[in-house]
Amino acid sequence: MTNRTVAARSKAPIPEKVIERNPSTWQLAWRRFRRHKLAMLGGTVVMLLLLAAIFAPWLTPYGFSYQNRQLLLRECGELPPGEFGSPHPCAPSVDIPSDPQLLGQCVRPAVLVWKCGMHPFGTDDLGRDILTRVMQGGRVSLLVGFVAALAATLLGTLLGGIAAFLGGPVDAVISRFTDIMLSLPTLPLLLILTGLLANQEVPLAAYLSQTLGPSKSIVVIIIVIIVLSWMSTTRLVRGEVLSLRSREFVDAARASGAATRHILVRHLLPNAVHVIIVQATLQVGEAILIESGLSFLGLGIQPPAVSWGNMLARAQEFVFTPNGIYVAFFPGLFIFLTVLCFNFVGDGLRDALDPRAKR
Amino acid sequence: MFAYLVRRALQIIPTLFVISVVIYALLALKPGDPIDELRRGNPGFTAADYDRLIKLYGLDKPWYVRYWYWVGRAAQGDFGPSRRFGMPAAQYVFQYRLPNTLLLSGLSLLIAFVIAVPTGMLSALRQHSLFDYGVTFVNFIGVSIPIFWFGIMLMYIFSVQLRLLPAGSLQTPGIEGLWPIIVDRARHLILPVAALSSLQMASWTRFMRSSMLEIINLDYIRTARAKGLPERLVTVRHTMRNAILPIITLVALAIPTVMSGAVLTETVFNWPGMGRAIFDAIVVNDFNVAMVSLMFISLLVLLFNLLADIIYVIVDPRIRYD
Repeated sequence: MTNRTVAARSKAPIPEKVIERNPSTWQLAWRRFRRHKLAMLGGTVVMLLLLAAIFAPWLTPYGFSYQNRQLLLRECGELPPGEFGSPHPCAPSVDIPSDPQLLGQCVRPAVLVWKCGMHPFGTDDLGRDILTRVMQGGRVSLLVGFVAALAATLLGTLLGGIAAFLGGPVDAVISRFTDIMLSLPTLPLLLILTGLLANQEVPLAAYLSQTLGPSKSIVVIIIVIIVLSWMSTTRLVRGEVLSLRSREFVDAARASGAATRHILVRHLLPNAVHVIIVQATLQVGEAILIESGLSFLGLGIQPPAVSWGNMLARAQEFVFTPNGIYVAFFPGLFIFLTVLCFNFVGDGLRDALDPRAKR
Repeated sequence: MFAYLVRRALQIIPTLFVISVVIYALLALKPGDPIDELRRGNPGFTAADYDRLIKLYGLDKPWYVRYWYWVGRAAQGDFGPSRRFGMPAAQYVFQYRLPNTLLLSGLSLLIAFVIAVPTGMLSALRQHSLFDYGVTFVNFIGVSIPIFWFGIMLMYIFSVQLRLLPAGSLQTPGIEGLWPIIVDRARHLILPVAALSSLQMASWTRFMRSSMLEIINLDYIRTARAKGLPERLVTVRHTMRNAILPIITLVALAIPTVMSGAVLTETVFNWPGMGRAIFDAIVVNDFNVAMVSLMFISLLVLLFNLLADIIYVIVDPRIRYD
């Protein structure tokens, strides 16, 4: 700046470049965000995962329920035949126990065939390619994460905004309801909700299974996550709007005759938006974690639909199967990476969007 | 102050009543009934049997009528039988499940607390140091890792690969003698405790760190320094004391949550605790077990809330309840 000002002073008339527009809030935020290395890394990884999920069907030669029977051990001790009667070149490197009593354990091992590049992450016990299923599962898990987080944030923002802005009895009702929802034990609520939505006698459940068929469980899990996670946003937004409402610029707006809606949309929301965006980002990771936990317990996404969570459904048994660790390792790794990256991005956004932060 | 606490304590009773109505109604709304389990395991089960049993157990009555019976008995300390385990539901929960849960969650929370508080403090005192960055990074991992997957990986590394520790369950059958039993139980505890404490540890460290950072910049800390107090005293007496305050509520509220919510860890390590008991009871419609455990957890939530308030008064003289 100093150099330019000196240059400008020495030369008249003032060149137009000097009257540079100040960068907008969003430009400033982007600059700050770019300096946050972990957040940039997280954002990049999330983008890559999203791309891989979106283009999954074109990126992999297998269908997500395709079983590579050639590589399955039909019976223990008998390797699958290859093209010329010899063992298949990609045959699994499983130690076949000599003890006949242990034979039963390796009838369907997870198969790792790294050397042929056929299944980089191996296959599961049914001979399905794990990489393909991780990509397909990513579509579901990320979809659940984004939709549930977005909806929960919208609902939470709406309720929190209404509670804070209207005050009085409306605020009391919404706040008490939020408190009750927060103090109810989560687990039974989850079980009962999923149970209710699985019951064909409940009208909503019947409608869902009629219209959605096998992918119904995805919508059910999204609904369950929304019901369980709007409360934190409501509290946050309520607190934020309450503190903003008593600020001078709102008084000024009101004094100059601005309508309630105008104040809400033009003054309160833009000032609370950074809190909401950060909350939504963290919520995505949270939703993916809830989905995986529920699916692990067998309550979430139901087969034939695939998600990272339900790939892990019987994972703790696979730990004891030869090569079985691949079945348990990869889906969990992707859940972990995704949630970690969303948390990094959320942290970066918190720093970048804070209106009090300097350039 | 005393009057306030008595009032708060008395409020627990009506609150518990409301919670019991809500939970009972939710359980009744859930599809299926306790007879389903019998029918599934019994091919000779006829529709007449079904009707007879429904009548016998009073399941033909609407839920509020059943609730009325239940609450009348419960008030006298009778929580009904567990249909699945053939013993009083309360005995099953408190004798066979609660001790395991107390052991697992108590130990996990204790370890999490003992590690999280000093780590968070140190991290804040050396803000922007390598140590601080390391702690922050590990915290990110701790809050992002799916707990059941972390448990499975621990199990794979330490039980399957290294064969150092048992892969779950409570104890090895057939071990004799006091000392070997203690060692055996401890070995079984290591992995589940590690998995369960990781999440609490990460979030508490984070909380402790930001709580410290907030206080470090306050005026009275500067005053303490300005009047020439040694740095150690400033930290111990002025910063730490005040920073540890908010974490008390967090810990008090985490206790009941961890006790009922450890179902993922309990599932992975086949640990017979309360979380799994509640889960199974709800899944197979063993209502009495579900009710007694959920009521117990709710009571704990309320009691620990009260306890947090009491501790607050003791440690923070500025707080007055009137």
